Amino acid sequence: MTKSDKRGTFSVTRRTFTAGAAAAAASLALPMRHIHAAGALKVGVLLPRSGPQAGIGQDCQRGVDVALPILKELGYPDMEIISGDTETNVEIARAQAEKLINEGVQLLVGAFDSGQTTAIAQVAEQKGIPLVINIAASPAITEQGYKFVFRNFPNAPKILGDAFTNQKELFAATGATPKTAVLLHVNDTFGKAMQGGIGALMPKFDVPYKLVEQIAYDPKARDLSVEISKAKATGAEALLVVSRLNDAILLTRELVKQRWNPMGVLSMGPGWYEDQYIKTLGKLSDDPVSFVPWQDYNKPLTKVVQEALAKAHPDRAMNTNHTYTFEALMIAADAYKRAGSTDPNALADALRATNITDNISAGPGIMFNEKGQNDKLLNVAIQNRDGKHVVVAPKSAANADPIWPMRPLDQRG
Amino acid sequence: MNRLFEGLPARAFLLLAILAAALLVAPWLVNDYLLSVLIIVLYFAYVGQAWNLMIGFAGQLSLGHALFVGIGAYTSAAIFVHFGIGPWATVFIAVLASVLAGSIIGYLGFRFSIRGVYFALLTIAFAEFTRIMVDHTEWLGSTQGLFLPVANRESIDLLNLRGSPMMFYYVILGMTVAALVLCRLLLNSKLGYYWQAIREDQDSAQAYGVNVFRYKMIAVAISSGLTGIAGVFYAFYYNNLFPETTFATSRSIEMILGTVVGGVGTLFGPIVGAFFLTPLGELLTALTDDIGLDGIKPFFWGICVAGIVLFRPSGLWPWIAGLLGLDKPAGGEGK
Repeated sequence: MTKSDKRGTFSVTRRTFTAGAAAAAASLALPMRHIHAAGALKVGVLLPRSGPQAGIGQDCQRGVDVALPILKELGYPDMEIISGDTETNVEIARAQAEKLINEGVQLLVGAFDSGQTTAIAQVAEQKGIPLVINIAASPAITEQGYKFVFRNFPNAPKILGDAFTNQKELFAATGATPKTAVLLHVNDTFGKAMQGGIGALMPKFDVPYKLVEQIAYDPKARDLSVEISKAKATGAEALLVVSRLNDAILLTRELVKQRWNPMGVLSMGPGWYEDQYIKTLGKLSDDPVSFVPWQDYNKPLTKVVQEALAKAHPDRAMNTNHTYTFEALMIAADAYKRAGSTDPNALADALRATNITDNISAGPGIMFNEKGQNDKLLNVAIQNRDGKHVVVAPKSAANADPIWPMRPLDQRG
Repeated sequence: MNRLFEGLPARAFLLLAILAAALLVAPWLVNDYLLSVLIIVLYFAYVGQAWNLMIGFAGQLSLGHALFVGIGAYTSAAIFVHFGIGPWATVFIAVLASVLAGSIIGYLGFRFSIRGVYFALLTIAFAEFTRIMVDHTEWLGSTQGLFLPVANRESIDLLNLRGSPMMFYYVILGMTVAALVLCRLLLNSKLGYYWQAIREDQDSAQAYGVNVFRYKMIAVAISSGLTGIAGVFYAFYYNNLFPETTFATSRSIEMILGTVVGGVGTLFGPIVGAFFLTPLGELLTALTDDIGLDGIKPFFWGICVAGIVLFRPSGLWPWIAGLLGLDKPAGGEGK
């Protein structure tokens, strides 16, 4: 059976739609479901491939692109992928889910963003089509009592909790524990949510350092010299950051300019590990530690996926987007293999019994609790090292010893 | 009833009857995907009508109408989630809250003679700070979002607005028809004439004794109230609300584009615009999927919209009405 990516295939539904209002009543009455090839599971992959989240959606798509040949090699049954672009829009996400289901998909995968994922989840739940969430961190998604929604991605409190656990492990392993830290965070929805979460969870996790100051900055800031001056003036030993790519670059440059060498940078979000950060800053990009859902480099399958990605996209390092999107498809294929049927109910039953241990993300494997959440996932601490990423905590997923305190930024040639 | 149909040519009756019949039977003929597209079309037709009342009839530019959708949505959804009270009871509170917000903006704007783009900026500012306020309100779900429990597709619970997309389709269809009728009646009333006088030349209207402040306030109140109802629908249809998307300026722009393309200040402009833009978007999705270039759709979509604005600056409806001979009323307003 041929595995095919049906992005771009002009479907009957679309033709019917294109025919438009002129032929509406008659043509729209026609049955819209495709007669699909027996044997292949039709999977609808919904991602924000255009709009504000286009970069991330397209990055997730790279995980889809490499998944099929690898899964075939692993002996999983055939899947036919039908892609839909949510355009970073909740309404479009819902309509696209309806469209894909109408085109006959038997399982949905998506959709990176919590709002779009929730809209898709409703359609999936109402129509009894299983949805495997690749990335979406809102805790509420798996608290709705859904029967057909499965998430192999940690929710926001789990990400933060693991970050503090990994920080303590990092400090214990190196014997260098900061007593104080200053929090610099981007002043947008994400930054504020993380700031709130950090404040709420720090006491619970008995974090060894004290936050001496919290400094917010504008997400569109072009200059962060004042913020770094202010942070440096606090005398804090470590710098805790919640940022995005551009501001991560600006902050690093200011650290160098102002000759401030904190014990380390602890990043609780994106930016500091991204390809563009590493490419832009070169040696200066080494050593910040980011706490993220990530792949376990020690797992054999990770190497396979890493090599496939390197071959297909030599300029991009494997990351969260690839890992969890790949795994979502792996989960779908595994469920199909065990269900032996494309019947959505049988697939949902198989998904509930998922137990994959030869996966790629950190943690013991993929299994879902009664709410459809994989609560066994582990988030890791990654460190940039010579333009690559290494995992430094937890020990179970580490492939390198941490460099902590970080090497002085102003002595890197 | 006379006022409603006054001045409409016979062929307009016929076309309206055909359109009404098509819309009534549509859910029985189309698949779920097209039904969801039709719901989006009608939603934008409705909110476009509400916005049109303010800018098209009374000449007050708002670029922050997402605020009223958000207020309506969050009010009804929060009461439903926390107290289990259905939308038919809370829609009045939602409308009241939206009208209150609109009145505050209107009062500040009109009392201090803030006009044109400056008034538009005021509406954006209110939407922005309401978003920030919701971001920090745990009771409203803050940044984590407010979720309504998912509805069983097969059951129809009209009282709690829980049920199948077909139910939502007829609800939004009813709302759109009601908004159209209301706008038609208002436009042909004394109030409508005052609005049009203010829109054409506020200073002259004032010189002729029109209480400009009062009638502009009424326009804002009605427009925000109608938009608040759309918010209630939005909340119960999509079942999740995030402040960043609900109150975004881009949402406000999305809401008004249909009216701009269809014809600002016309009764059918918002409907024609919505029926044109949303299917155009879906059509372009289908066509650009073939190209396989992500994000190319907005490029073509932008070209189409720019083309309409350039070649049909009054919008599509006046042009279509001209082609169909609907712009020659038997008497009275023919838009």
